[in-house]
Amino acid sequence: MKVIVGISDMKVSGNVKETLITYSLGSCIGVLIWDPVAKVGGLLHYMLPDSRLDKDRAQKKPFMFADTGIPALFKECYSLGAVKGRLVVKVVGGSQILDPTGLFSIGKRNYLILKKLFDKNNITIAAEDIGGSVNRTVSLEIGTGRVLLKVSGRGEFEL
Amino acid sequence: MNRVDEILALIRHVPPFPKVAERVMTLLKDPDVTAHQLAEVIQYDQAITANVLKICNAAYFGIPRKVNSLDEGLVVIGHDILKDIIIASSSARFYQGKVGAGYGLEQGDMWRHSVATGIMAKLLVRHIKDVDQGSAFTAALLHDIGKRFLSSFVADDFAKIVEKVSRENCSFVEAEQAFLGIDHAALGGMILEKWEFDQQLIDAVREHHNATALERPPLTALVALSNSLVISLGIGVGEDGLASELRGDGLKRFGITMEMLQICMADLLTELDRAQELLSI
Repeated sequence: MKVIVGISDMKVSGNVKETLITYSLGSCIGVLIWDPVAKVGGLLHYMLPDSRLDKDRAQKKPFMFADTGIPALFKECYSLGAVKGRLVVKVVGGSQILDPTGLFSIGKRNYLILKKLFDKNNITIAAEDIGGSVNRTVSLEIGTGRVLLKVSGRGEFEL
Repeated sequence: MNRVDEILALIRHVPPFPKVAERVMTLLKDPDVTAHQLAEVIQYDQAITANVLKICNAAYFGIPRKVNSLDEGLVVIGHDILKDIIIASSSARFYQGKVGAGYGLEQGDMWRHSVATGIMAKLLVRHIKDVDQGSAFTAALLHDIGKRFLSSFVADDFAKIVEKVSRENCSFVEAEQAFLGIDHAALGGMILEKWEFDQQLIDAVREHHNATALERPPLTALVALSNSLVISLGIGVGEDGLASELRGDGLKRFGITMEMLQICMADLLTELDRAQELLSI
């Protein structure tokens, strides 16, 4: 059963029959975490790096921002029985349009803040597919932890 | 017939843009125009009439009773919303069905991308002066109309186009130009020309992938920027991905910061939630 994760959205699941999927990540980032023992996983699709941009909005839509969405993703998975040390973490997205001046860099900033958060909390990334000028669709099978990634121009493959 | 001629020949077969749209827009230039005068023109276009009624009755307007007639509906909604409905209804017919398959787009993707770009353009009017919301919405809604007609040609040369984009890290339109002799932006400009739109709208559509679009007239800059942001968000984006070029240094001219753009992106999501009726036109 497919569970769709929209833009600025998050879904967690402990149902082994479910597959979490998010379509069309551009500069946004998809974070997929999965505990192989508890068979619990989650997928976050955040859009912007820093909730200080708009605190009110961050309260209403915490999954819009990296700094509010990422902690929420981990907490929700812990509440379903996931354990930090066992989590397999994968990250995709963070593309940008072609801009020789480097100003359109939301994708890059989205990734940098994630790295900072992960370093601070000793979280290792098991696999990632980041950057470029591509569009990505990614899914996570809760039963197996299999992550399927589809990248524009590169086809579909397992991450 | 060579490739470009074959593509250009297509333009002759592009159906006309609904005449009702043009006539209503002319009528709306008179602030004293009555609902009845508008209804007399609109009633001849079934799609527009149905959409006016549908949108009037959408929860969004919170009108307590059901609106049954066009006259009544036109009294209820303001002229700005009416303009949006007319342009959206007139454009939607070109985006229906499985269009854009050559770009790897699913059914409905092209319309979603167009509406999102239209809404983003209206949001950006707050930062780009000298552009009216109506022109911004119209040009943005129609910016990718060339894709509708170039799609099957892109499908023929798809592997070569994609290979060039990833090998040279160039934009998708550059590859379209290289293999087809024309790109969807240029083709879109020609279609708007055939439809006799204002020159500034034609230019905005034709140049929406120009890397220096932010240095061009305000409407061109606005459409290119709206498209870039919607592409970045991945809304209705196909195999061309984010392979679109726009030089960010042009933002300085308008005093636009990255923070302002991020707020517009956040606002777009809220507006898209509210625009479900527009999407279902």
